[in-house]
Amino acid sequence: MTADVFLFWFLAFMTIVSGLGVVLMANPIYSALSLAMTMISVAAIFVTLQAYFLAGVQIIVYAGAVMVLFVMVLMLFDLKHELQAFTRGRATGAIKIATVGILSGLVVGAVTIGLTIGGKNQAEVASATKAAGIVDTTRGLSEALFLKNVFGFEALGVLLLVIAVGTVALSRSKGGTHARD
Amino acid sequence: MTSMGTTTFEVAVNLIKLVLVFLMMVQLVPILVWLERRGSAFIQNRFGPNRVGPLGLLQLLADAVKFLTKEDFAPEKGNRLLFYAAPVFALVPAAVAYMAIPMSVPLKFNEYTFLIQGYEINVGIVFILGISSLAAYTILMAGWGSGSKFSLMGALRASAQIISYELALGLSIVGIILLYGTFNLSEMIHAQQGIFSFNAFGHNISASWLPNWGIFYQPVGMILFFAATFAESNRLPFDLAEGEAELVAGFHTEYGGFKMLMFFIGEYGHMMIASGLMATFFFGGYSIWNLTPQEVYQWCFNLIGNEFWAGAMNSLLHFLSYLVKFGIFLWIFFHVRWTLPRFRYDQLMDLGWKTMLPWALANTMITALIIFVTSYYVL
Repeated sequence: MTADVFLFWFLAFMTIVSGLGVVLMANPIYSALSLAMTMISVAAIFVTLQAYFLAGVQIIVYAGAVMVLFVMVLMLFDLKHELQAFTRGRATGAIKIATVGILSGLVVGAVTIGLTIGGKNQAEVASATKAAGIVDTTRGLSEALFLKNVFGFEALGVLLLVIAVGTVALSRSKGGTHARD
Repeated sequence: MTSMGTTTFEVAVNLIKLVLVFLMMVQLVPILVWLERRGSAFIQNRFGPNRVGPLGLLQLLADAVKFLTKEDFAPEKGNRLLFYAAPVFALVPAAVAYMAIPMSVPLKFNEYTFLIQGYEINVGIVFILGISSLAAYTILMAGWGSGSKFSLMGALRASAQIISYELALGLSIVGIILLYGTFNLSEMIHAQQGIFSFNAFGHNISASWLPNWGIFYQPVGMILFFAATFAESNRLPFDLAEGEAELVAGFHTEYGGFKMLMFFIGEYGHMMIASGLMATFFFGGYSIWNLTPQEVYQWCFNLIGNEFWAGAMNSLLHFLSYLVKFGIFLWIFFHVRWTLPRFRYDQLMDLGWKTMLPWALANTMITALIIFVTSYYVL
């Protein structure tokens, strides 16, 4: 077992355990912190795949900014009701068991597929990545985003803006804390 | 990230180096605490700690013993797991980010080359900014885990401040990244060595009396970056997180003894990262005024005549140069703390969002425009 393989299994284990934590923890704060942990583990997996820029951006944007806001908002709430609602009742128990079932199915599937890929020649995979022209990931990423696919990239930005406007419009229409009436 | 090495010797040295850089960070903290207390006393016309040992230097040792022997308590209404985890996590981002800062020219030994830093990572800036932004979690964990109003208010203030200033911090160095065309800190320092010289409109412009440092290209970026790092490390004039007058001590109100000390080490660690990055981005990193490492190496070689020892001396000289710059910025951190009063919260947010962010954006756009025009047109 080489260091790379060990690193992969360790990080994969961390990702799955913290991912399970997100859905299984009764306390929303623990869930949010587990999600942050999942994102950091995924960033570490990116590092082992030599996608350094992606790893850095993953940490800055998701773990460093988005999840901090989540945790901040959660801490402002009174979480006692949430805790009660998610520690009792058959419905939540059923959801938890179902989640575990789906996740374990995913794990089994990943392992089976991973074994079939692992049977392939490693050199073949390496030459395929080289043929795809992946050398400098930061430069490659910027060229793909701002030269080759600039229209799609900008269009996605507009789409996100539309989503944001739509969310505000929906939240103001009926009921809700920001309702107009 | 370069691999840890191929032979056992190389891997062993690289692992020892990791421990050494971490110890360097932790061991600097008591010295900095002493400097800060003596310095503040000097500024305010007091004595400061001067009873234990010569110049009060052994006060640190006495403090460490006191911290270790204090009672270890946790608030009853708090969340024990988060309460105990927070100080430990406070150390991690600071230590991990600090290790990625290069401190001297690589040392050559036989066929090996050892970098004088914990490890090198190719996207150094993105990595350091990302890792140090995780510090917001430790503050939130401490504030919420303490189960007290003061702690929670302090934590919310501190994390809101860190998130707000992260934007200005990130944008203020985009100009530098555009200028050097790299995320790698070592390459950035390499570009700043020697005398002031750049190409514009197809001509080379140089001045032999100036070093080729980033501050001469990005003065606005330098000011914005330094101000934002003050906010990031929760130092005065941005220490609303503590706000002794209204919040007792902010997110670490309920902490005492060694747990408190760990928060301290984390805060000083962030100051050290800020000082190291200031030196790296704007003051040529470890490079010596107007000289390239090759010139210094040649001088050492003429003096000693042995390749390895000349290289070692070269590394040592550059390390000293780095330490001088590092120390100057740390001293500015101390001096500002005992000079400026605290901001009001709305002033803090105004400064972050309405002043520094637009200035950083304008700096980025103007830098990009100038780089494009000067490299595209030939006069």
